[in-house]
Amino acid sequence: MQIREHLFPESVEEALALLAKEQGRARLIAGGTDLVVSLHEEKVPCEVLVDTARIPGLGGIELQGDGRVRLGAGVTMTQAERSQELMRRAAALPEGCGWVGGPQIRNRATLVGNVVSAQPAADAALPLVALDAVLELRSAGRTRELPIEQAYRGSGGSAIDPTREMVTAILIRLHDRKEASAYSRMMRRQALTLPVLACAVRLRREGDRVSEARIVLGPVAAVPLRVKEAERLLCQGTYGAERVESAADAAGAAASPRDSVFRGSGAYRKEMVRVMVRRTIQTAWSRLAGEGGKP
Amino acid sequence: MQVNGAWREGWARPGQTLLDFLRDELGCTEVKKGCGRGDCGSCSVILDGKLVDSCLVLALQAEGSSLTTAAGLGSRENPHAIQQAFLEAGALQCGFCTPGMVLAAKALLDEQQRPDVESIKRGLSGNLCRCTGYTKIIEAVQKASGQGTGQGGED
Repeated sequence: MQIREHLFPESVEEALALLAKEQGRARLIAGGTDLVVSLHEEKVPCEVLVDTARIPGLGGIELQGDGRVRLGAGVTMTQAERSQELMRRAAALPEGCGWVGGPQIRNRATLVGNVVSAQPAADAALPLVALDAVLELRSAGRTRELPIEQAYRGSGGSAIDPTREMVTAILIRLHDRKEASAYSRMMRRQALTLPVLACAVRLRREGDRVSEARIVLGPVAAVPLRVKEAERLLCQGTYGAERVESAADAAGAAASPRDSVFRGSGAYRKEMVRVMVRRTIQTAWSRLAGEGGKP
Repeated sequence: MQVNGAWREGWARPGQTLLDFLRDELGCTEVKKGCGRGDCGSCSVILDGKLVDSCLVLALQAEGSSLTTAAGLGSRENPHAIQQAFLEAGALQCGFCTPGMVLAAKALLDEQQRPDVESIKRGLSGNLCRCTGYTKIIEAVQKASGQGTGQGGED
């Protein structure tokens, strides 16, 4: 790794100016748990590191005036995993964050980094897609909000250019009393491993039916996969085993997992998609039943 | 940076890992270099109160920080309760993972005084041991937290 400089700007503007000056030769670094490995393996061309550590205001989980929660770019997996408020009102997110690496990794790795690394198996990103998260994106002279699904290129990889722009925060809405979410994960051992499959679900309940659903899977495609047909089927009429099965079948049909020595055959994982989707829907629904009184 | 209570200075190259800096510049060879990519945990240190893999932190990111290695917990003459418990439980064979393991145990016990077995497993989940099968390591952490393992072991 031939890093020429490691810089510590003290504002977002300064960081963006440094990136602009280096014209693609510089990259942002926060937790570094992905980037440092990539740099070692020389997978990423980079001469200058622009570190976000000394930029104030990036480290908090805060409720904003508009009712959304702002997760700053410095927020780590450990912070999200331990947030009581997120556990109560956005459970899929801390559940997912809790599966990332081991404690050492979670203490450094950031949620924003997990999104920008754009792995289809990312344990923080899948729930963020289910939560309709929005990224606050800063580039020279401009701040904009980008729905998280648009942060991925269809062919895989991130649509965000870390040599030029910076995600300064992730914005999410907490569940109200009619909403719940869940995350589940299937893996070969119980820690420090990427998932064979993972599933994030968010449901909104109106009476005896699901009125809105998000069902997100990974890694079964180049990006976190939102299965809209399954979401639609789940909302068709009274909630029950039949609805759940039809959604699970649709998810199985939509997923195209590859054969993998590590993760298992594509056919096996396609079958397991149905199981995971079914169970995760059931978990989310059971949480809703708990909130609203009688199931 | 402050290493085990003493201020230490050295020149770090941009891009140099904290692990290489500690070993090569400061001579802290108790910090072990295993996989070099955040999989094994043998290079664990406690950086400003948080357990981290020093192979994934860049030395310059730790400038001005306070850091604890296994050598900062205790000495041969005066071992820390966790180190003593590892000895008594026979929780090591080759010893390569041990500096990282005792620091992971320290970080865990700093947050939870009497963790149950599941919490211990989770607290140590970032550290691989290829010798012991973990059972005795878990026993050692129980022992260090004053929890009996069926054979006494109060400290």
